[in-house]
Amino acid sequence: MANIISAFFSYPLLVFGSAFLLRAILLVYGLWQDANSPLKYTDIDYMVFTDAARLTFNSPARSPYARETYRYTPLLAWLLYPTTLPAPGAAGVFWFSFGKVLFAAADLAAGWLLVRVLRRHGPPAARTEAAALRYASIWLLNPMVATISTRGSSEGLLGVLVTALLYAVLERRVTLAAALLGLGVHFKIYPFIYAPAIVWWMDGERMGRQFAAGTSLLRRFLTPERLRLAIVSLATFLGLNIAMYALYGREFLQHTFLHHVTRIDHRHNFSPYNVLLYLTSAEPYVTAQSGEAGAWGTEFLGLRIESVAFVPQLLLSCVLIPLVGAKKDLATTMLAQTFAFVTFNKVCTSQYFLWYMVFLPLYLPSSSLLRRPGLGVSALALWVATQGLWLQQGYNLEFLGQSTFMPGLFYASLAFFLVNCWILGIIIGDLQGSPEADVSTGAPKSVGQSKTAAK
Amino acid sequence: MRQRTTFFHRDEDAIQPSSIKVKGRSISGPDITAVREDRFTLGLDELPSDLKELLTNISELHLRWASPARYDTLGPWTSRLPPGLHVFYTPQHDDATGPRDPICAFLRGFMPQENCTDSLDHFSQLPYDRFSHATAYQSYYPSRSISAFAEYASQYLCSASDDGCKTRMRALDQAKSFDFSYDTISHVVKVTVLWGHQKQPLDITSHSDHRVEVGLLVPDSTGAIEDHELGVAGLLTILGEDSNPSPVLFSFPARHKSAGATFSAEFLSPLGLHPTMQLQVDSSEPPMKDSFCSLHAYFTLPNTIFADKYQLDDPLFLASKNLTALRYISQPIDLEAPSYVMKLWGSSLLLELKPPAEDEAVAFTAEVPLHLRYQVPQDGGEESVTTPYPAVFWACAAEEGTKFPNSPFDRVNIGYDGLFGPRTLFWHLDPAPQEGVKDLMLTDSVPVLDLGQALLISPLTAAVVVAGFAWVVWKLVAVFMKSGYGAQQSPGREVKKTQ
Repeated sequence: MANIISAFFSYPLLVFGSAFLLRAILLVYGLWQDANSPLKYTDIDYMVFTDAARLTFNSPARSPYARETYRYTPLLAWLLYPTTLPAPGAAGVFWFSFGKVLFAAADLAAGWLLVRVLRRHGPPAARTEAAALRYASIWLLNPMVATISTRGSSEGLLGVLVTALLYAVLERRVTLAAALLGLGVHFKIYPFIYAPAIVWWMDGERMGRQFAAGTSLLRRFLTPERLRLAIVSLATFLGLNIAMYALYGREFLQHTFLHHVTRIDHRHNFSPYNVLLYLTSAEPYVTAQSGEAGAWGTEFLGLRIESVAFVPQLLLSCVLIPLVGAKKDLATTMLAQTFAFVTFNKVCTSQYFLWYMVFLPLYLPSSSLLRRPGLGVSALALWVATQGLWLQQGYNLEFLGQSTFMPGLFYASLAFFLVNCWILGIIIGDLQGSPEADVSTGAPKSVGQSKTAAK
Repeated sequence: MRQRTTFFHRDEDAIQPSSIKVKGRSISGPDITAVREDRFTLGLDELPSDLKELLTNISELHLRWASPARYDTLGPWTSRLPPGLHVFYTPQHDDATGPRDPICAFLRGFMPQENCTDSLDHFSQLPYDRFSHATAYQSYYPSRSISAFAEYASQYLCSASDDGCKTRMRALDQAKSFDFSYDTISHVVKVTVLWGHQKQPLDITSHSDHRVEVGLLVPDSTGAIEDHELGVAGLLTILGEDSNPSPVLFSFPARHKSAGATFSAEFLSPLGLHPTMQLQVDSSEPPMKDSFCSLHAYFTLPNTIFADKYQLDDPLFLASKNLTALRYISQPIDLEAPSYVMKLWGSSLLLELKPPAEDEAVAFTAEVPLHLRYQVPQDGGEESVTTPYPAVFWACAAEEGTKFPNSPFDRVNIGYDGLFGPRTLFWHLDPAPQEGVKDLMLTDSVPVLDLGQALLISPLTAAVVVAGFAWVVWKLVAVFMKSGYGAQQSPGREVKKTQ
């Protein structure tokens, strides 16, 4: 059995073939379920994307924002142009599924990039082809990932953008990395957190520059590469935004960016702030009835909690984690940043988990979660258990109509938050213990060194 | 002012014509089991000054109120609306951004329209491209009574000394349906009050300067009555002019008829946050054999609850709920906002139902998937929301050349009629709740955050976030203390140095 498994992971074609087959089967199964059951396999978001594409190309509205709840860049609607192609019968179904094919292909591309990163820059233990394939399979053969893509959720595109960004950085392809960064932020905002980590990582020594003794810190910091990264990524981001603004006007700004600032986010989700946000959003209307203002103490040290919630989130994901970790292990740092961003976010739904899951294959080879199976299993079990607890409370609210906001959902979301913080602590601890993943020459290190490093 | 009072009764409830006494400006007789309709036509000058002021500054206003109490009806008054107050309105200047709009200030005098302000964002805009005979704006309020309006009418429409008038106006509160119509073209106000099928006194006295016409009618099918017509026979008296009731026999085109079937509505249990309203229809048989008919349900949903038009787009899903299609839904809806931040009254929708395709009439159910918005937190964690019954009817195509406005009892501007062509015949199903239930408003308790437990939320959230943050920072500090911010102090680092 063990032989079969190791043989399986020795052949990229087998691994990628299986990943492809997994998605192909899910896709076809989804088509069957959609055609035969009132309960749809296809994600509601996919209907949003395809409606938006149709409204952009086949309607007088000529804008994706004519579709309610379309909160994405118009690029996504453009990418799905083929789904608007009119075709009878099977061809029509094929073209309509084009987006899912695209998202699933993005999964595979992200998987391929993960293998490249592992092979060229990964910890020594993961640099052989078989090992790289085995770790990349955490993403490639992950049923959750495959299901999300084939149901038509666009997170797979983010996966490939972010892994491509990491790979470009590690390969020192500064311009490409900058363009990907600008595109990523335009696409989904959150990848901006990677900018400080990349900038910090990209120091002169690493980029092969020699500084004369006595060079000022500022001049050491402002390397041509960092300036190029900043200029090209900003230009890409602004260029795209200006172009989209020119085409779609205020609606683009409103739905792609401003919506995320002004939304109330009161509907139940995993975020620890969720119940508090519901309470504070309704507070003016509560006090209007009972006449006692501020009775619910939604202030903390004189500040409204929901308006300072971004402080711990951004402090961790944009400042502290990149500062301490980026030079040690960029991939693990990006994982920790994403993990912190999602954990401390004011909204948190399960599709956000994909944002950090794509980094797991790069982190796990040098992780204490694998080195100490007891720890790894506990972390996974607690992560699943607290999530399950929340889901059960959510089910009781959503489908049974029980008022579980307090205490059920509230405590479950806090427990899930604390478990996430604990896991984040483990990942951060591994930054110190994990072997230097990236060596400027890209040459593999000996196994002995990594063992010492991993003590 | 002109008044027309019509009693419509069944054949078997007829009273002896000889027992009706017409004397001067009054008519009286034995109690009669009938449906009664009073229609008043008033000139602008006969109105209280604030109402006159309002009407001269608007283009069209139609108020339609239907009682939440179940009632039986007969004859030409079979049209139904979801219970509550419906407002159909066209301002003089058709731009919502215009100066302060007067309608809300007027409505607030009668109804708790809290969200109705100077702008028209409380109203939904009706489709002007669909059919031209609808007003520009619509709103609705699930109000159970029009006592405030009755009080207003008794104060301003009756002279201070006329106690009889005041009593009659206050009795408006017992009416089953109340229509108020005004448009700039006719320049008159028409008020129609309907009293359900019950035993009631026959005793009407007219004011000296009012023209009052009283009719006692029964259905008549002796002549050749078409599907789109209603034939009636009976007695007509113009008070002050006639000394005896004169017999009449006539027929007229009737837009609204009774389908002779009933339906009931209830939410499936448990409600959850995505309640399903089940409609139970007792007959699947179309009312006309030789015309195209389709069964519809028209909803006016307060902003606590809404339908998702995207969910109602899939034929398979719709078929599984015995629905054919969503024919109309007011825009915008906002699929995400909680009730308490919404200015908009709610939404109206027209769903075509899918009766089983069987030759004989069968009872069937249709399920309407709806979604609740979040409500303001309450002590105890529950809030009650009110959802009115829909109006359920068959819409059939009437013959070419049918002119419904020629009917003396025609009723228009009731929301759904504007969604159909002008030659549509509506066959109404009577709402008939389960045994023992009289109310046509569904009242349900929905989960909200329990305010009684809310004191802990803020401090605990802050404490836990700070604790989690502190733990992560501590781990970062530990790494930093050991290896700084640079690359790891490991053999790997040394290898690098030697390169």
